[in-house]
Amino acid sequence: CTADLDTEPKVELSLEELLATDPNAVEGIVSRLYASFALSGPDGPGSSDISDDPGESPFLRGIINLQDFTADAMKNRWGDDGLDQLTTTSSWDANNKFFRYLYNRAYYTIPQCNNLISILNTSNLPDTGEALLEARFLRSLAYFYLIDAFGKGVLVTEENLNQTDPLPESNRRQLFEFVEAEMLEIQSSMSEDNGYGRANKYVAAMLLAKLYMNAEVYIGENRYSEALTYLNIVIDEGGYQLAPNFLENFSADNDVSPEIIFPLIADAVNSQSFGNTTYIVNGSLSSDTMTLSEFGAAEGWQGHRATSAWYGLFGDLGTSNDARAALFWTSGHNYVMTDYREWTDGYPSIKFRNTEFNSSSNTTTSFSSTDFPLYRLADANLMYAECALRGAAGADMNKALTLVNNVRTRSSADPISMNELTLDFIIDERGRELNFEGHRRTDLIRFGMFTGSSYLWPWKGNVQNGASIPAHYNLFPIPEQALSANPNLQQNPGY
Amino acid sequence: TVTEQSSSLPLPGVNVIIKGTTTGTSTDFDGIYQIEVSNGDVLVFSYLGYVTKEITYNGESNLNVALDEDAAQLDEVVVIGYGTVKKEDATGSVSLVTDEDFNKGNIVSTDQLLTGKIAGVRITNSGGQPDSAPNIRIRGGSSLSANNNPLIVIDGVPLSNINAAGVSNPLSLVNPNDVESFSILKDASATAIYGARASNGVIIITTKKGTSGAPQFNFSTDISVNSAGEGLDMMDSATYVRFIQEYHPDLVDKLGVPIGSVQTNEPISQIIDTPNGPRAIYDTDWRDSVLRSAFTSNTNFSARANLFDVLPFRGSIGYTNAEGIVKTDDYERVTASINLSPRFFDDDLKVTLNAKATYADKNSVDTGGALGGSLVFDPTKPVYNNAPDNRFGGYYFNTAQDGNRLILDGQWNPLALLEQRERPERATRFLGNLELDYSLNFLPGLRAVVNLGLDASKAKITERFFNNAAATYQFDVDGNYLFNPGENYAENQDITNTTMDAFLQYTKLYDDKFVTKIDVQAGYSYQNFKNDGTKREYRYHVDDPNTPDDDDQVGLRELIFDPANPNNRYYNEYNLQSFFGRTNIDILDRYLFTFSVRADASSLFVLDDVWDSNAWGFFPAAAFAWKVSSEEFMNNVNFVNDFKIRFGWGKTGQNDISQVVGYYPTTPLFTPGSPNSQYLPGAGLYSALPYNPDLTWEKTTTYNLGVDFSFFKNDLIAGSFDIFKRETKDLLARVNVPPGQGFSDTFVKNVGESEGRGFELNLNLNAIQTDDLSVSLNGNLSYVYNEITDIGGQADINRGGSLRGTGSFLLSDVVGQQAQSAYVFKQLYDSNGNVIPGAFADLNGDNIINDDDRYHVQIAPNWTYGFGMDISYKKWDFTTVFVGQVGGNIYNFSKMNYGFTEAAVPANNNSITNVLNFYNGAADPAFENVNGNIQFSDYFIEDATFLRCNNIVLGYTFDNMIKNGNVRMYGAVSNPFIITDYDGIDPQNFGGIDRDFYPRPTTFTLGVNFDF
Repeated sequence: CTADLDTEPKVELSLEELLATDPNAVEGIVSRLYASFALSGPDGPGSSDISDDPGESPFLRGIINLQDFTADAMKNRWGDDGLDQLTTTSSWDANNKFFRYLYNRAYYTIPQCNNLISILNTSNLPDTGEALLEARFLRSLAYFYLIDAFGKGVLVTEENLNQTDPLPESNRRQLFEFVEAEMLEIQSSMSEDNGYGRANKYVAAMLLAKLYMNAEVYIGENRYSEALTYLNIVIDEGGYQLAPNFLENFSADNDVSPEIIFPLIADAVNSQSFGNTTYIVNGSLSSDTMTLSEFGAAEGWQGHRATSAWYGLFGDLGTSNDARAALFWTSGHNYVMTDYREWTDGYPSIKFRNTEFNSSSNTTTSFSSTDFPLYRLADANLMYAECALRGAAGADMNKALTLVNNVRTRSSADPISMNELTLDFIIDERGRELNFEGHRRTDLIRFGMFTGSSYLWPWKGNVQNGASIPAHYNLFPIPEQALSANPNLQQNPGY
Repeated sequence: TVTEQSSSLPLPGVNVIIKGTTTGTSTDFDGIYQIEVSNGDVLVFSYLGYVTKEITYNGESNLNVALDEDAAQLDEVVVIGYGTVKKEDATGSVSLVTDEDFNKGNIVSTDQLLTGKIAGVRITNSGGQPDSAPNIRIRGGSSLSANNNPLIVIDGVPLSNINAAGVSNPLSLVNPNDVESFSILKDASATAIYGARASNGVIIITTKKGTSGAPQFNFSTDISVNSAGEGLDMMDSATYVRFIQEYHPDLVDKLGVPIGSVQTNEPISQIIDTPNGPRAIYDTDWRDSVLRSAFTSNTNFSARANLFDVLPFRGSIGYTNAEGIVKTDDYERVTASINLSPRFFDDDLKVTLNAKATYADKNSVDTGGALGGSLVFDPTKPVYNNAPDNRFGGYYFNTAQDGNRLILDGQWNPLALLEQRERPERATRFLGNLELDYSLNFLPGLRAVVNLGLDASKAKITERFFNNAAATYQFDVDGNYLFNPGENYAENQDITNTTMDAFLQYTKLYDDKFVTKIDVQAGYSYQNFKNDGTKREYRYHVDDPNTPDDDDQVGLRELIFDPANPNNRYYNEYNLQSFFGRTNIDILDRYLFTFSVRADASSLFVLDDVWDSNAWGFFPAAAFAWKVSSEEFMNNVNFVNDFKIRFGWGKTGQNDISQVVGYYPTTPLFTPGSPNSQYLPGAGLYSALPYNPDLTWEKTTTYNLGVDFSFFKNDLIAGSFDIFKRETKDLLARVNVPPGQGFSDTFVKNVGESEGRGFELNLNLNAIQTDDLSVSLNGNLSYVYNEITDIGGQADINRGGSLRGTGSFLLSDVVGQQAQSAYVFKQLYDSNGNVIPGAFADLNGDNIINDDDRYHVQIAPNWTYGFGMDISYKKWDFTTVFVGQVGGNIYNFSKMNYGFTEAAVPANNNSITNVLNFYNGAADPAFENVNGNIQFSDYFIEDATFLRCNNIVLGYTFDNMIKNGNVRMYGAVSNPFIITDYDGIDPQNFGGIDRDFYPRPTTFTLGVNFDF
C-alpha cells in the first residue's frame, strides 16, 4: 500500500517520460524558451508562468511599456496605477508592478534556459541540433534586458541551478561580461539559417552589436568598433533585405518579410497572448474614432497614442512624402496631447496592424497574428551609421550614408546628404523608423537625452510640455519583491 | 429478557454485569441473557442511550428488565475519531450538536443546521445561491497558503477537499434530514487522532441509524418563498439623466436610444434633446430584471424498522427543488440513504452499512456577470428590443458600428446573460461505508474494527448557448454576422475517494481499583483521493492563411484539439497513510488521561526513506480531565451536577497545498502547452514546472484548558468554557523565490510561524422547565486572534484580493498581523470632515506618499457569537437563532467601483454605465476617479460588525391527528433582518471584499412534519 504514496501524474511528464514519448521533446522545450518572450503561460492567454497577471505581465508587453511609454513617442491613457507613472516618467518606485513584470519575466526565462542547458550537458541525447546554443542565446537576451533596464541582477547559470540560498548580486559589468563572453563563444558556431523565428549567427551578432553599442552607458567603455564588426556581419553576410514596403514588417503576414532578423512570433490561433503584438495593435485602436476591422482587429482597447515628439519628426503629416508619416490616425484626434488621459488627444499609431500586407482578407481576430520585429535590418543600418559617426574603427561613411538612405527611400522619404548625417539626425531617424519597437528609451539614454532637461517631450516629468527628470531614472528601481526575496540585492541609487 | 420500556421490544447487546466484579454478559438478539449470580448480587444493566438500571438479585429464575430510553444521555455520546465517548468522559474540546438543536426553517444544505450554534465555529456562506459554499473556519484557521477548511468526516469517511465539478458545497450532497449529530473537535488533543488533516478542526457528521424497536416513519415537506432585500442605491433613470447632463454633458447623446430604433412594450419615460438628435429614455431597474421571488421546496420520507426482527434498518428519500433569487439559477436534488446495522455471531460481529446516494442538477448561471451587470447597465436603456433589425433574440444590446459590422459594445444585457445560456451541472454521488466491529472472544474487551469507505461521484457539465446568444456572435470571412448556438463547453469528471481504517481496541474496566479503566487502541488508516476528468473546449475558427479552403468556416465554433492531451484530461491523485494509537486511562473514575499519537505520510511530499523523510509527520497528543463533581468532597455540593476541568496538548499537521501548487509539488515535471500556447512550428511546447523537494508538514501545537459544567436543578445553567493557544511552525506559504533560483517567481515553502489564541464560551440556560412551559436560552461567544509571527524574512506576502484593474491586490500577510489583512493608505479629510480623494497620511513622515505609508487593517473578526431561544408551551414551540460578529472589516468594493463620477464614462467603448446615487449620499462626487492609490484608501474599509437574525420558527404539534403519531406544522422565516452600520449590501463576507454579492434572501417557509 505504501507504494500508493508515490502518486504519479498523467498529464504532466517527468523529463524521462517526456524524452521517451516525444522525439521532438527538446525542440518543444526550446519552443518554450522562445515563447517566454511573447506568451504569458502554458495554458492560453489567461495563464501565467509567474505569479503576476497573465495579461499585463508578458515579456514583450514589458519591453513596450518600459522602452516606449517611458520615452517620448508613445503614451498610454488608461491611468492604471504604475502604467501612468511610466507614461509620465514620474513617481517611480520599487513597488511599481510594471518594473516587477519585466524583472520576473527575465528571471523566468533564465532558469528555464539553465534547465535545458543542464539537461543537454548531462544527458546523451541524440542530435539536438542547435538547442544548446539557442538556450544560451535566449538566456543572454534575457540578461540583456536586465543589464539595460535594471543595471544589475543575479548571475544564475546552469552551475547553480539547484541552489536555494540567495545568490550574491552581480553588477552591470559582471552581467555585461557574462553575456559578452557567452555570445562571443557561440556566435560563430551558430548556423546561418535555423528556421523562422529562431536564433542564428546573425541574431547573435545583433545582440552583440546592441551590447557593444551601449557599452558606454553600461560599463563606461567605448566599444563602437566591436559593435561595427558585428553589424557588418549582419548587414553584409546575413542576406537580409529591406522590405520593399515599410508596412510589410508590421502586418499579419510579416513572417515573409525579408527584413526581419529576429521576430517574436504571434498567432491569432496558436500563439495567443495579451502581451505580444496584440497589445500593440488592439491597444492602439478604438471604435470611438476608428474602424477596428480595417486593422483586422475584433477589439479596440483605446489605450496608446503617439505624441508630437514622434509625428512632429515628419513635419506636416499632410504634405510629407514619407510613407511612415501616414501611419498615424489623425481623424477625430488632436495634434497636441493636452490631456494624456483623453483618447482623442494625440494620434494613434497605425504602424502595427493585424491585416495582411499581401492579401485583402477581411477577417478580424481578437488576438493578433503580427510578429514583433525585435531585430530588423533597418535597425542594423541605422546602428551602423551611428557607430560610424561615433568613430568606430573601420567604419565606412559612404556605406553609412547609403544604409541610412536605403532606409529612408524605402519609405519615399528624401535621401539625405553626407552633411546631414549627424548624430542628431540619427536619433530622429531612429524615432521615425523604430518607435514603438522597444528601443526608444535605450536610444535616448545613449544619446544623453532621457533624463535632465536637455530634451523634453509631452508629459515627461508629468507636465504637459515636459519637465526635467532626475538622472537616476536612467535605471529602473529593483522591484520590491526581488529585494525581499534576496537580501543580497541592493536598490539602485536614488530610489 | 431485557426489553425497551416504551415498545416492549427486546434489546440486544445490553451489558449485564455483576456490580463490583468483572463478571458479565450481554443480551442476544431476542434480548435474552444468562448469567450465574448469587443472592444479593447487584446486576447492572447498561446500554448506550438508555438509563442504566441496577437490580438486586433475589433468587428469581427469570429476571426481566425494561430499560428507559435516556434522551439526555443520548445527547451525551460524542463521536470522536475512531470511536465514541460519553461526553462526561471526554478529555478534549468537543462540541456536540444533535437534531433537537439544529437550525430549522428553510434548510437546504447540512451546514445550515449548524450556523451560529457553536462557539469558535464560523460559517460564512458565500452568498444566497442554493448551493453556496459554506466556508467553515474553526478557531480561525492557522495556515497561510495551505487549506484552512476543517476535516469533515461523514460516518467515518473523511471527505476530500475537492468538490465534484459543479458542486460548490460538499455538504449540500448530504440530506440534512438524515443527519443525527455533529461532533466538532476543536483542540489538538481531540483532533490529533486525525493527525494529518486535522489542524483546522474536525467536523464529524453521524447520520441516523436503524432502530431495534418498533417501526417509525417520518414524512416532512415544506415550501419557501425567497426574496432579495434592498440593493445598492444605484441611480434610477431620471436621476441618471440628470447626473450625465450635470457631470458629463458631452455624453448626453449616449443616454437612451434614438427614437424609433427600439421596439418594446416598455414605456418611454422621457425624451431628451441632444446635439445628435432626440433620444428616448427608458426607465429600467436592471436589478429587478435579473432577480425574482424564488420558491424552494423540500420533501422527505424516512422509515426506521427492525426488519425481520434482526436487521435494524433506516431508509430515507428526499427531494429538494430550490430556486435562486437570480433568474434561471435552479437547483434540484434527490437523495436516498440506507442504513443497516445487523449483528452476527452472538453479537460478536456488529456490522454497519451506510449508503447514501445523491443526484444534484444545477443550472449554473454567470452570477457575477449578471449581478455586476445589473448594477452598472445604463438604466435609460430598455430590457427588450423586438425591432426587426435586432439580432440578439429580442434583448436590447449596446452596439457600435465598425465599418460595415455592427459590433457589441460595452456592458452586455445582464438578463440576456442569464437567459441566452444554459449550463446544467449534474453530479451523482455515492457515499458509503461498511464497518465491521468484531469482538474477539479469546480476550474479552478486545475488538477489531475495519471501516471501508467509498466516496465516488460522477459529474457532467454542459454549457449551451441558445439561438442569437450575444456570446456566440461572430463574423464570417466577408464580415457577415452569424451565431453559434449549441454546446460551448463540456466537462466529465470522476472522483473516486477510497478510505480504509482498521484498528484493534482493548478495553478493560476495573471496579474499585485505582485504575478504573484502560482503553488501548492502535490502527492504520488509508486515504486515497482521485480526481479524473476530461473537458471539451471550443473556439471560433479564424482564417488560416495557409489553408485556403477554410474560408467558409470562419466564425464557426470548432472543438479545440490538443494533440498533447487529446481529451483535455486532468488527473490528480492524493494519498495519505497513517498509523495511530490511543490510550485512555481512567483513574478512580475521575482522573481521565488520554494519550494519542499518529504518524502520517502524504503523497505531496518526498518519500525517499520509509521513516526518515519529509513525507512523514508525527503528531502526538495528551489530555487530562478531572471530573471534579465526582470527588467525594463534592457530594454535598448539591447545586453542581457536573463539573469537569480539561487540559489538552497536541500537535497536528497540515499538508494540503494542492489548491495552490497542484498535486505533485515536490517533483520536477514538464507540462505541455495548450493549443493556443504554442510557439515554434512542428514541436509541442513544454514548460518546466516549479517545484520544491524540501516541502514537508506544517505543524501546529495547541494548548487547551477548558471546563464543562452543569449547575442547579434541571441543568439550569450548563455549558463549557475553553481557552486555547496555538502555535504553527513551518507554515506552508507561497512566498517569493530569490530571482532566477526557481522555475517561477513564487512557490510554496515551509516558512515562518503563526500564533493564535482565544477562548470560547457555550452557555445554556434552562430557565423554565414545567410540564406546560419550557424556556431555554443558549448562547455562544468566541474570541480568536491569529497573528503571523514570522514569514521567513519577507516583508510581506501578497494574498490577492484583486480590486479595480489587474495586478493590484488589497490583501497581504505581514508579521504582527492576522493573515490576509488589508494593506491600505490612511485617508485624509478636510476640516469639515469631507473626504479629500487621493490625499493620504504620510505615516512614515518622509514627505513622500508611497507604499511605505500603507498600513494593515484586519479583515477577519476576532469576536463572533450566536444565541438563540427555545420556548415550548403546551403544543406550541418557538425557536430563534441569531448570529453575529463584533469587529472585523470589509472592503466596500461597490462604493469604490461605482462611486466616482468618471465611473460612468466608457473606458474603451461607447456605452455609459450606471453609478451610485451621488444625490442622496450613496457616493461622494468628490471622487472623480479612483486612479493610482485611491482604491487602496481605508475610506473604503468599513466595520463589518453585525447581528443577523438567522431564523425564527413557530410550530404547533397535533397529537392525535393520525393514529399512533403526531403532526407538527410550522412557519419559519430565515434571515428576516440584519443590524449593521455597513453601507454595502451585506457585511457577512468571507473574503473581505464585498463585490457583486449574491444577496442572501429573506425566506418564508411553511412546513409540516408527520411522525408515525
